[in-house]
Amino acid sequence: MIRILSRRLFEVAIFLLLITFASFLFARLAPGDPVLSMLRVDDVSVTNEQVEQLREEMGFNDPLLVQYGLWLTDFVKMDFGNSYITKQPVMEMLLSGLPATLELTAGALLVMILIAVPLGSFAALYRGSWIDQISRGVSLLGAAVPSFWLGLILIDLFGVRLGILPTMGRDGFISAVLPSVTLGLAITSIYVRLLRSSLIDSLSHEFVRAARSRGISETRIFFSHAFRASLPPVITVFGVSLGSLIGGVVVIEVIFAYPGIGKMVVDAIRARDYPVIQGYILIMAILVFLVNSTVDLSYRYLNPELRLKEKRKS
Amino acid sequence: MRKSYKLLIISILAVLLLTACSSKSAEKEGNGEKEINLLFNFAANSLDPNIDTSYVSLRAGITETLVHLNDENLMIEPWLAESWSSEDGQTWTIKLRNDVTFQNGEPMDGEAVKASLERAMKDSIAIENALRIESIRAVGHTLTIKTEVPFPEFPSELVHPNTSIIDVTETDFVNKPIGTGPFAVSSFTPGTAVDLMRYEGYWDGAAKLEKARFSFNEDANARSLALESGGADIVFRPEVESLENLEAIEGVAVESTSTFRVHQMTMNLQRESMRNINVRKAIDALIDRKSIVDTILRGHAAVADGPFPSSFSFAPTYPEKQTGIEVARTFLEQAGYEEVGGVMQKDGEPLALTLLTYSARADLPLIAQVFQSDAGQLGIEVDIQQIEVPEEYMAANRDWDLTTYSNLTAPRGDAGYYLNATYHPNGALNFSGVNDSKLTGMIDQLNSTVGQEGRSDLAEEIAGYVDKEVYNSFILHPNTLVAYNSDKVENWVTSRSEYYMLTNVLDVK
Repeated sequence: MIRILSRRLFEVAIFLLLITFASFLFARLAPGDPVLSMLRVDDVSVTNEQVEQLREEMGFNDPLLVQYGLWLTDFVKMDFGNSYITKQPVMEMLLSGLPATLELTAGALLVMILIAVPLGSFAALYRGSWIDQISRGVSLLGAAVPSFWLGLILIDLFGVRLGILPTMGRDGFISAVLPSVTLGLAITSIYVRLLRSSLIDSLSHEFVRAARSRGISETRIFFSHAFRASLPPVITVFGVSLGSLIGGVVVIEVIFAYPGIGKMVVDAIRARDYPVIQGYILIMAILVFLVNSTVDLSYRYLNPELRLKEKRKS
Repeated sequence: MRKSYKLLIISILAVLLLTACSSKSAEKEGNGEKEINLLFNFAANSLDPNIDTSYVSLRAGITETLVHLNDENLMIEPWLAESWSSEDGQTWTIKLRNDVTFQNGEPMDGEAVKASLERAMKDSIAIENALRIESIRAVGHTLTIKTEVPFPEFPSELVHPNTSIIDVTETDFVNKPIGTGPFAVSSFTPGTAVDLMRYEGYWDGAAKLEKARFSFNEDANARSLALESGGADIVFRPEVESLENLEAIEGVAVESTSTFRVHQMTMNLQRESMRNINVRKAIDALIDRKSIVDTILRGHAAVADGPFPSSFSFAPTYPEKQTGIEVARTFLEQAGYEEVGGVMQKDGEPLALTLLTYSARADLPLIAQVFQSDAGQLGIEVDIQQIEVPEEYMAANRDWDLTTYSNLTAPRGDAGYYLNATYHPNGALNFSGVNDSKLTGMIDQLNSTVGQEGRSDLAEEIAGYVDKEVYNSFILHPNTLVAYNSDKVENWVTSRSEYYMLTNVLDVK
């Protein structure tokens, strides 16, 4: 166990090292200059000498490897630095926005589950029926409608016309409803189709036929066997796409003025606020790693074959 | 049957929940308090008055500066400072009001202002550069400030929102700065809103509003919808396409106010063709300003004759100019060009221009396309290139001829910032590469001229010279759009500087 854990930790360290180095390189090689943002050249009279002097002082003229080495040294000391623009400690900034983003992501997942599970299940059970056609239509619509547009439609409907839901800010559970629904609907389509095809595949397996021949009820076969067996591919896709889901939250955060981490990092990218960008990538890397580890563990629970194999080995 | 029963109960619960929410928000608005919700188009994650680039503290009436910019005559005037004077433009004596207190009740005296300015310079390199202060001495309510060099525009730099005066003995600058304005912070949700309460001890008379909310939403459509739904009373920069809808709503007023910004065609004078003044004049003549204002900006802009809006005292009266394709053709012919087979050329070399543009301001790429089309009719090939960060690209590369660029020209009521940054050889925004000794001499003279009147005269002369030499071409001054609930809001003034929004006179009907 200790060996597995240390191996896993070593993998994480290498993974973080690679990802932070790659992101460091990309951020610095991309066009843009944080010095211009810091000096606010569009608002305050600045000379070229002052621009160059600050560049030198900030170490932007040093070789990239030296700059990365300095960042890494601070990182090892758990010093993530301050934002160039707001001067706030990077981790304090990002961690203050993270709960809102996770809240939206969780809300969206809930919406997705509430829609995708029944719709995907019925579509698989009644293949070719009207409900299958509806699920196909919903999936197509969900994939085709841009989330920013959907968000505005929902604001217009529930905020302007019906006046029953708040359309801006983060003020308790109710303010998360519209942004969560918007984001949830946007991601639902893929999971409806995925669950449907995965369920169809499970229902055609031998273990389902065997269960039927033993007289087990259809409901039990569906929930206890087929549905469970259909989940691994769905969860795999979820694990892989979580990063992009959190990244995609930014549009929703802007429309609903929801103060999350996504909007914060877009501002940081615009201003080339490198410490914030690095901090964000680090947090995302850890999150994705945690989710993927959980997904790996869930296979063990969902796939009896895997458990049996492990048992046999031991 | 049982299933239907369950469904019915769930539906009733859902309706009750939603109704509870809606009645809760109605209660919040309808408790009889005089309150206004202003929805702004930039979000702030920090209220720190010396650092936040959205200037929320000043705009929301939390803080104030020593010097104020008068929106009517666009001249600077006293605010927290009662008066200021300097004989040499380097040593300034500033007398402060003696009736001002911070929102924690502490008096605003010389020491407090000194500490505040020092903190602003320490934490913001931009403010350190803007103020160029060498030393500050405080005695009672008088400050003696020495700048590093003679700096006649120093008082106008004290208009800058990041020079706001705060009580630095308080420490939570990010969430609850303590200023001298009519509203104190009651709570701040980064990226969403700041809730404000009236400061009863405000020196200029307590605000008429009891409470106010300064909220943020960066999506123009969402802002327009917020006004329609009653979620906001005043909305900055609603979606231009939604203006007709908003204007059609009874009780909604839309104001379109000119700003200090100019959209310009920056010219790279280091390119062979651009060195010829007649080519520059031809380009200037080719820009169909009126049509751009009417079509791209839908009338919400003023045609620009020069960098400064005509209401500034230092905006010259420009001679009337002929424009259009035929006028441009004449200038090009004077520059030695002729049209051969539909291509404008000189010594067999076609006139081809590289025009940079960027999407951060949505109208700039459209202006570039209009220009490309007009130039094409004259046989000039214009290659449009989209760039991301114009300041960085223009400074680092010289492979372009023109750029559609947008600039603030006199944000604090003085022309010094723009003229130094754009036309002085050392200026960080001198992307044109202008290095004209006569012009540099005039700017240097401006930099040593003390007094608003003298500075205005010189700035006017410089603007006239820039126009004569056609160093850059000026297209339009975009307007700021504000829509508000005129049935509720009283005494709203759309500030041209966009610095002053929630004031002590703002009220509800």
